[in-house]
Amino acid sequence: MCDACGCDLKPAHSHDSKVVEVHQSLLAANTAMAAKNRKHFDTMGAVVINMISSPGSGKTTLLEKTIETLGGDIRIGVIEGDIETDRDAERIRAKGVPVVQLTTGGACHLDAAQIHKGIHLLEKEKGGTEIDLLFIENVGNLVCPATFDLGEHHRMVLISVPEGPDKPAKYPKAFHSSQLFVITKIDILPYFDFPVEEATAEALQLNPELQVMALSATSGEGFEQWLDYLRKLCN
Amino acid sequence: MHEMSLVQGLLGQLQQLAAEHNKSKVLTVSMEIGPFSGVVIDSFEFGFGILAKEISLTKDARLIIESPPASYRCCGCGKQIEEEQRPESCPHCSETLFSPEGSDDLILLRVEME
Ligand SMILES: Nc1nc2c(ncn2[C@@H]2O[C@H](COP(=O)(O)OP(=O)(O)OP(=O)(O)O)[C@@H](O)[C@H]2O)c(=O)[nH]1
Ligand SMILES: [Mg+2]
Ligand SMILES: [Zn+2]
Ligand SMILES: [Zn+2]
Repeated sequence: MCDACGCDLKPAHSHDSKVVEVHQSLLAANTAMAAKNRKHFDTMGAVVINMISSPGSGKTTLLEKTIETLGGDIRIGVIEGDIETDRDAERIRAKGVPVVQLTTGGACHLDAAQIHKGIHLLEKEKGGTEIDLLFIENVGNLVCPATFDLGEHHRMVLISVPEGPDKPAKYPKAFHSSQLFVITKIDILPYFDFPVEEATAEALQLNPELQVMALSATSGEGFEQWLDYLRKLCN
Repeated sequence: MHEMSLVQGLLGQLQQLAAEHNKSKVLTVSMEIGPFSGVVIDSFEFGFGILAKEISLTKDARLIIESPPASYRCCGCGKQIEEEQRPESCPHCSETLFSPEGSDDLILLRVEME
């Protein structure tokens, strides 16, 4: 029973209620922090790429190979995001470039506040203030990271051949919000039913402005196109 | 389940609003969730159902979600087509490429408190 008037209506009615018009995005705090990060990256002179994919699609392997072939010409840095462990950061560190591991402790995505922390941790690493090209390897997850702007300049989405060609249609947000779509592990195309052209067409239907390429980090096939893309970004 | 962390952000914002307006109870929360937000409305409601109950401010709060429709602009003739699902081809010119149009945001519209 309602204390104020003794009526039977509970609890969704009131005698002294007030409606406050808010009209603010739930992502506003993240977006504001992302804008700060972007300014910070611009001051550093670094071009920043946010990598989004399912677990195991080959993000870290692509980075290792990219550092091996491009590391002499372009100063690369990496921020690794994982739920637990610093294994990916160890793999990158072994290639001799500045790297920071962020662990989200359960969260399925990185957010702009974590990246802000990451930037300052990176600055303490050797070479961490002199970076031309900074990769952010997001938590392996094709859904949640797509919602959070980190302050990156470019966003890429990766699908590996074993995952199948239907991913663009199933995970549209990652494709809507990216500028680049990379199909990875094409060395194993003979063993999987993955029509590259169909997957490409489907991704383009979702986002006509998407740039698409296919490569293998192990065989090196398609790698020149990827390196050219990066060189152009850093010009 | 980033819906959970988004709900947590929402609850934080509600606590701030209640403090600002000197209120102790949230009655209704109205949200708009855009068709391209990447947020599953069922999961958002589920998360709200669980987390809101843990705080006395929001334990009886009702969540109202508006979801505006998606629309697509034809890359061929430029006409706008209002459909939930991406159309196979344009009814006007049979083009198959479309740019999605519509909000990708989650907006807290208004809060009723007492
Ligand atoms: N055949 C083949 N295997 C690859 C290729 N790239 C990566 N792999 C393998 O795929 C597995 C996962 O690769 P990672 O680079 O660790 O994938 P990731 O996306 O960084 O994984 P998470 O960080 O856990 O999400 C490893 O066993 C790699 O050796 C490729 O081009 N071809
Ligand atoms: Mg990895
Ligand atoms: Zn999630
Ligand atoms: Zn048309």
